[in-house]
This record gives sequence, structure tokens and C-alpha cells, in this order.
Amino acid sequence: MSNSNIEMNNARNSVYQLLSSLFAKELNRAMLEELNGDNAQAFWAQLATQPEFEHYVKTIVDTLANLNTDDDLLELAADYCGLFLVGNKHSASPYASLYIGDKEPTIFGPQHQQMLTFLQEKQLQLHSDFSEPADHIAVILAYAGHLSLSADETHQLSYLKMNLANWLSNFVAQVKKTDQGVFYTAVAKLTLAWVNSEIEWLS
Amino acid sequence: MNRRDFLKGLLSTSYVVLSGTSVLAPLNALAKAGAKDKDGWLTTGSHFGAFKIKRKNGVIDQVKPFDTDKYPTDMINGIRGLVYNPSRVRYPMVRLDFLLKGHKSDTSKRGDFRFVRVTWDKALGLFKDSLDQIQTNYGPSALHAGQTGWRATGQLHSSTSHMQRAVGMHGNYVKKIGDYSTGAGQTILPYVLGSTEVYAQGTSWPLILENSDTIILWANDPYKNLQVGWNAETHEAYGYLAQLKEKVKAGKIRVISIDPVATKTQNYLGCENIYTNPQTDVPLMLAIAHELYTNDLYDKDFVKGYSLGFDRFVPYLMGTDDGIEKTPKWAEKITGVSESVIKELAKTMIGGRTQILMGWCIQRQQHGEQPYWMAAVLATMLGQIGLPGGGISYGHHYSSIGVPSSGAAAPGGFPRNLDEGKKPLFDNDDFKGASKVIPVARWIDAILEPGKTIDANGSKVTYPDIKMMVFSGNNPWNHHQDRNRMKQAFQKLECVVTVDINWTATCRFSDIVLPACTTLERNDIDIYGSYANRGLLAMQKMVEPLFESLSDFEIFTRFAALLGREKEYTRGMTETDWLKKLYDDCKAANEGKFAMPEFEQFWRDGYVHFGEGKTWTRHADFRKDPEINPLGTPSGLIEIFSRKIDRYNYDDCKGHPTWMEKLERSHGGPGSDKFPIWMQSCHPDKRLHSQMCESQEFRETYTVKGREPVYLNPSDAKERGIKDGDIVRVFNDRGQLLAGAVVSNNFPRGVIRIEEGAWYGPVGEDGSVEGGAKVGAICSYGDPNTLTQDIGSSKLAQACSAYTCLVNYEKFQGKIPNVSSFNGPMEVTT
Repeated sequence: MSNSNIEMNNARNSVYQLLSSLFAKELNRAMLEELNGDNAQAFWAQLATQPEFEHYVKTIVDTLANLNTDDDLLELAADYCGLFLVGNKHSASPYASLYIGDKEPTIFGPQHQQMLTFLQEKQLQLHSDFSEPADHIAVILAYAGHLSLSADETHQLSYLKMNLANWLSNFVAQVKKTDQGVFYTAVAKLTLAWVNSEIEWLS
Repeated sequence: MNRRDFLKGLLSTSYVVLSGTSVLAPLNALAKAGAKDKDGWLTTGSHFGAFKIKRKNGVIDQVKPFDTDKYPTDMINGIRGLVYNPSRVRYPMVRLDFLLKGHKSDTSKRGDFRFVRVTWDKALGLFKDSLDQIQTNYGPSALHAGQTGWRATGQLHSSTSHMQRAVGMHGNYVKKIGDYSTGAGQTILPYVLGSTEVYAQGTSWPLILENSDTIILWANDPYKNLQVGWNAETHEAYGYLAQLKEKVKAGKIRVISIDPVATKTQNYLGCENIYTNPQTDVPLMLAIAHELYTNDLYDKDFVKGYSLGFDRFVPYLMGTDDGIEKTPKWAEKITGVSESVIKELAKTMIGGRTQILMGWCIQRQQHGEQPYWMAAVLATMLGQIGLPGGGISYGHHYSSIGVPSSGAAAPGGFPRNLDEGKKPLFDNDDFKGASKVIPVARWIDAILEPGKTIDANGSKVTYPDIKMMVFSGNNPWNHHQDRNRMKQAFQKLECVVTVDINWTATCRFSDIVLPACTTLERNDIDIYGSYANRGLLAMQKMVEPLFESLSDFEIFTRFAALLGREKEYTRGMTETDWLKKLYDDCKAANEGKFAMPEFEQFWRDGYVHFGEGKTWTRHADFRKDPEINPLGTPSGLIEIFSRKIDRYNYDDCKGHPTWMEKLERSHGGPGSDKFPIWMQSCHPDKRLHSQMCESQEFRETYTVKGREPVYLNPSDAKERGIKDGDIVRVFNDRGQLLAGAVVSNNFPRGVIRIEEGAWYGPVGEDGSVEGGAKVGAICSYGDPNTLTQDIGSSKLAQACSAYTCLVNYEKFQGKIPNVSSFNGPMEVTT
């Protein structure tokens, strides 16, 4: 792989990891400072140069800039909790297995097993601080980032299609429907736009 | 800009990723210790029976019944759905407004508010701070940690014991007396027969099968209810029911089900039914007694030798004291049972060996003490108490009662109380004149009317001013009555803490919610077959606790550590140490009688069998010699008239069994002009109370368009334009719910059934989940306690009235809202 390709893939990995991080847990003060820092601002600005990302990035950046107090962070944490940490019908549980298959799903279903297999093949596992099923969207995105550095394009494309693109739009619609704020809807839509752009590019 | 340039631009920003947020790690570097897949099947148990499990990659893959269980319930098909439920409480959570404002939070939206995830340290710290505030500001009368219930099985991790021991280390608190299942029965029967009877071993099924000529199932549906047990259920009773079915078929035993509905048992056995109007069992029993008495058919010797107060009862029976003779003709009008059927029934009962088997439901109503007392009087008049296959039982539908017991000693459990000599941190016993113990079902009354004094079982109870409730493994938003009244009460509470596995309605109406793991995520031991005590079952951990849930032992050990009392709490022992101790103590108690291997061998085998039991007859010793073996009543005899109760001078529970009209009664009774339908809410067929309702795949085997079934009489349904599968609105002045119509000939006119345990899922008038917190919201799933009366059975027991109320119903015409029961908290747009 050329240096140029390595750089590009590092950049792609950065986007995947960033999106994964935003889904993985609530924002805390340290994360907020990083996301509002100069480096991140440049990153956001560069992301926003793409028209399909621009609107969502602006919403994200604006929200982040206005999270001034701890109470603001708690309100955002309550949005996160309502969306991703409880229930399934009136929230947007972030697990692939709840969106795939026609039988009423349970968590730790086949997609969880599938992701565990993928991780093991790459000598990876879930971080011990992350007590979630392996088909959590944060894991699927992080693994996509990992593949962007380590797998050929056909493999990457197949992975995205088989494990993310097949449920992501339903998930994003559910986030939009149940989000009490705007931040996570923007993050979800940015994710969908990003994955679509990736699939288009890899194709 | 092309993508290549765009990506290069991204990289040039030097932004990599948020530090410390990676969800992936190198394999094995951070490997969690825990259960690994093993070849073969592991053993465990539950209220639904014992079963075996096979795992795949650390996930429960297959579940099958335990080898010895010949009659497993299909509820074990719901086990996976309980564990891997999307509604799991995944992390410790705190209602946002409570986190921000503590005890001054806005409680008007409790039940539908915003939660945030917190760490265990934070959650337990808030829990302790709340207890500190309550004890400091109000004292122990403001804390109620005594609402406890069916928990999950297991002797070590029993949620009630852990919560009460830990909270008890912090301070004193209000407790309950009685339970929702048998509140009226367990209070009246000690006066009459000297024990609760409802929780006593009964005459063995083989003796009943051998000796009974007639079995009366009085409001009793054992074929439905024996699927579950207090401990891991063996289901051996089903073998005896199968034999009974054969005997019924062969005409060797006559079984008569006295019930307004055709029960599951009746349909299974193919037995007879005597229909009686709902809630009119006492008039029917009185009329049978009248027939026995006036025709001189009753056993005078037994009445004289073994009972007290018949002479005080007869004037009431004959109407010389109230002007109403309790004749079959009189009863016919009330009960709907014809005079001739009553007379024939009386002759049948006295004409041979008759075993009366009472169910529990009919004592969960206003005056619920009376049918139990009157049934005991009937059994006394028949004179067969203490004979095999005769007399009366109040428990043959429950937890292996009647299955011959092995007689082995059962293991103990984790201690519920403080160790001897130990004092709570807040060593304050000043309840400010309020009662320390209140009848179990009167806690909502207490919250709404603090300081009020009521009569209860010969004493006065003064309601404490409750400000905080703690629940663990308990879902009162299922088992208590009148949801809209509960909402008003909960708005008065400053803090509610709930420990549970899935987001019950109780969790949703709480401020602090703590995730407990399921029985499959920790090690424990259990008795196999509660009253049969058939053996000892290893409950082997199948998977690590999901998310950040913890075992009850771990949760409250951490809480005790906050009090500086961790070592005292655990007595310095780990989970494994405790399991071994409980086992070894049990082994020592059985030494020389029942062989038990060393603990390690037991754990490998998964089971110790104590052998088959010997048959036994209830009250045989009393019958043999009532002076040497007296009953536990004041006189030592069966008390047909209780001087003690008579002296209480209660207008709703007199000195002998009495028929009293109800506040609400169908079929021409009070209130039936306005709400003509009787709603029966008995124990469910497909759940254990509310346990298992959340298991979706299994739930879908019985729901109708995703709703709890409401069973309807065909003619009643037709009159309302309702057909099978329609969504029905059931309502009265207290509330309203939606349920799915199942039209069935099992249900007579004027009667519907919605089984209790259906999870509460309120939604607003527009179908919105945010409207569900409001008083008057409709239940989207079909929780019958949205409609029931929150009244005490009487001044004696003050027990719940969960079984019965008046309603009406119609085909639902509006936009059908989504079911909101099986989720976490909803969010409110403020």
C-alpha cells in the first residue's frame, strides 16, 4: 500500500473512531474539551467541506460549543440515555440484532456472535470498560475503522454492507424519531452519510 | 474536492481520535475472568422449574427441562428472553431531575422522566445520601423498605434478604405484615384452624387419589397454577393430576369445580362445573350448611368433639338472629345456583369421602376472610378433617403442596437481619407514634393519609408518614391496586430506589434504578420442589453479569462498604464461601438421614436427590387426639365461632362466617347497573405474576395484537360488536386499559378475565408515551390493576382486593397506541 493510501486510510479510520466514540458513551468534560479544541475544530471544518456532511457537522459543532455547564452535559447525557441505554421500542437501542431479522429480537443475538468472530479473527476483543454486546454500533464502526487499515477494499465493502448498511438507516430513523435533542440525530445522520460515502467510494 | 483530497485534508488536521474512548482492545490483554463455555449442559433452576443450558461463545444458546421434570412448563421457553431482554436495566441510573435537585425534585412527572447513567459508586452514594437525609430529617417512620415479593430463586442471592440486611445496617424502617397472595386467608385461618393453612403441607396426593370419592375444586385452578413454585418447581403434582384425570374418566372420583368460569383444570380433567355468580361463594356454602343442618346430615360427633362455637353459628344460619334463613332457596337468588343443585351438592359432599381444595383468588376480595372461614365450617360439618382424602386444603395448587415430602432438611439462606448484637448506623427507633409494621397492601393508603389510624387484626395501626421507598426484586406496580391512585401517592415520595433486572413500571416510577443480574449470571443453590423438598439444586452461573449488572450479594456488599460494614455484612465470606457454608450446614443437618456428597462433588453433579417421600394426612394427629395435638387456635379446636374476633367488634368481620354484600358486585349486585361486568384477575397461565411478561418471543405466543388477552363471553362480545382479535377498551371510574379480545365459551355472561401480571404501560390520550405519567392515562397493554379497587378485605386482615372489580368494555375505536410497557423510561418534552 502506498504512503498516500496509508494516509487516506488513517483519515478514514479517524472518522470511524470518532463516530464510534460518540456512540460509545456520553460526552464528559474531557471529551468535550477535546472536541472543541483547535485540532478537532480543524477536523470538523474539513469534514464540513463535503456538502453531504456539512449540515450535520454544523449542528454537532454548534451543540458542542454551547455545552457550557455541567447541567448542559447532563441534559445531553439524558438524551443519550433515553436513546441508547434503555428499552427498544421508544428508543434507539444501538444493537444490530434488534434491527435485523424478522423474529422479535433479543440482545446478544446472532449479530453479536458474528462480531465476536470478526474481532477474534483480527486478534481483538471488546475493551473491558465497554460492557456492551459486540453488535453495538460503536463496535461495528470501530471495527470498520480497523478494517480500513488492514483489509482490502472488497472485504471492507462487504463488511459495511453486511453488518452496518443493512440496518443503519432504520437505526438513524429511530434516533430521529425519539431524540429529545438534536445532537445525536446529527451524529446518526452524519454516520449514515459517511457510511454511504464510504460504500460509494469502495464500490 | 475529490475524496482523496478531502481525506488528505482530514489527516492534515492532525486530529486522531478521542483519547480513552476505544471500544476495542487486543485479544486477551484485558480478558475478563468468568464462565467459559464448557462441553455439555449446565444445571440451574427457577420458579418455572429446573432446567439445563448449553452456551455458545459465552451466550446462552439452548435451554431444556431438567432430566427428572416430566411435566415441564412451556414458560422455560421464555428464559432466554428474560436474560437477553432489550429492556434490561443495563447500568445504574438516576432520574435527571433527582440527580440535579435531590429530594426537592419535581415528582409530578415521576414515571415518565429523563434518566442518566451513573457509576455504581455514584448511584450507591446517592442511595446512602438519601437514606441519611430521611433518617436525619424524619426518622425511621419515613422509610419503607418492607415491600417485598417473589424475587428470583436462590438461597444466597435472595433479593429481599440482601436489601433488608443492608438497609437495616443503615437504619430502621417500616415493614409489612402479610402478603398479596394470601393476605386474608393467612390472617383468618390461624383463628379458625390454628395455622395459616395456605402455607402448610397438605394431605398427600396419593392418599387423595386413593380415598376421595369427591373432590371439590372451589375457585381453584391447580393445573394452571402449579407451573410455578416458590423454589424450583418439580411439577410432580402434574403426575397426580394425570392420575386424577383417569379416575374422573373411569368414574372413580367425582371432581366438581365450583367456579364462575370453566377453568384450565376443569377442561383438563373433563370434570363437572357448578357455576356460581362471582363473589357469592359464602351464600352457596351457607346454603349447603343449611341443608346439612336441617336434614340432620352433618357429623354431630365431629362438630362436638373437634370444634367450638357451632351453637353460636346456628342462629345465624337459621336466621333467628338476622331474620334471614340461609336456605338453598335464599342462596339461589344470590348465587345463580339452583336450589336443587345446592341440595344435591350437599348430599354428594356428605355422602362419601370429600376433599375440599380451596384456591387463593377468592380471598383477594372485600370480605375475603369469609369464604375461607365458611369453607372450614363446611368441612367441619362433613366431619372428615384429618382423614385421608377428606377435609379441607388451602394450598394444593401451590409449590408442590400435596406432593409427598422427602423430609430432608433444607438449606438456609443469606441472613435478612443484622447479626445478633449489631445496631444500625442510625440507631433510632422512634417512629413518632406511627406503626413500625403495616398491613402489606395498605402502604399507598399510608403515603396518602399519614397519621390515620385503622383497625387491623385486633390492633390499631397508625400510618407512618412515608417519604422514601426501597424495592428489590419486587414490582408493586404490578401487584398493587388502582394505578391512578398509586401515581398520586408516588408524587408525594421524595425518593424511590428500585433494584431489578428489567425495566418494570416500578423502575420507571423510581429515582434511582440499580441493575441486578439474573439468576443465570451468578452461582447459587436452591431447594428442588418447595414442599416436596425433592433435592438440592446447583444454580450454576451460565454467563457473566450482562452490562454493569451485579448480583444482589455484590450490590449490597458494596453498599455495606459505604457504611464501613462490608466485613460484617458478608461475615468475611465470598459468594463461594457462602454457597459452601449453606451446603455444608444442610449436609450436617441431614447427617445420618440423607446422604450428601462433598460440596465440590455436588457442584459438579449439579443436583442431590433426597429420594421419594412418604404420604401424610393433614390434621390426622389432631383427629387422633385433639387434647395431645391441639390446633393453634385459642381453644385448640376448630373455631366456628371465634370469641377473639367477636371481641374486636368489627362490622366487616364478625364472630362467625357471615355473608356481607360487597361495595361492587356483578350479576345484580351493587354498582352493576353502571358497570355490569365482573372482571376476574387471577394468577396468570403464562407468567409468574409479572415475571416473564417482558420475555417478548414467549409473550407473543399468547398476546392479541401485542396486547394482554381479555377473555370474553361470546354473547356479551357479540352484543358489543366485538370479535376475536379486536382491541377492547375496558374501563370503570378508576381507570381504563386496552386489551386483545379472546372470545371463549369458558366465560359466562357478565364475566371477563384479564390475568394479573400484565405489565403496566400507560400512554396519554393522544397515544403519546409522555402522557402516560398523568393520572387517568390509558394502559396500552392491559394491566388489570389499572381498574381494581384499593380497599382492604376487612378490618381484620386489611388484605388486598386484587382479584375482582366491576367494569364495562367496548370495541376500541380510536387510533391504537403502541404498547409502552416493555421499555425503559420515556422522555418528556418539557
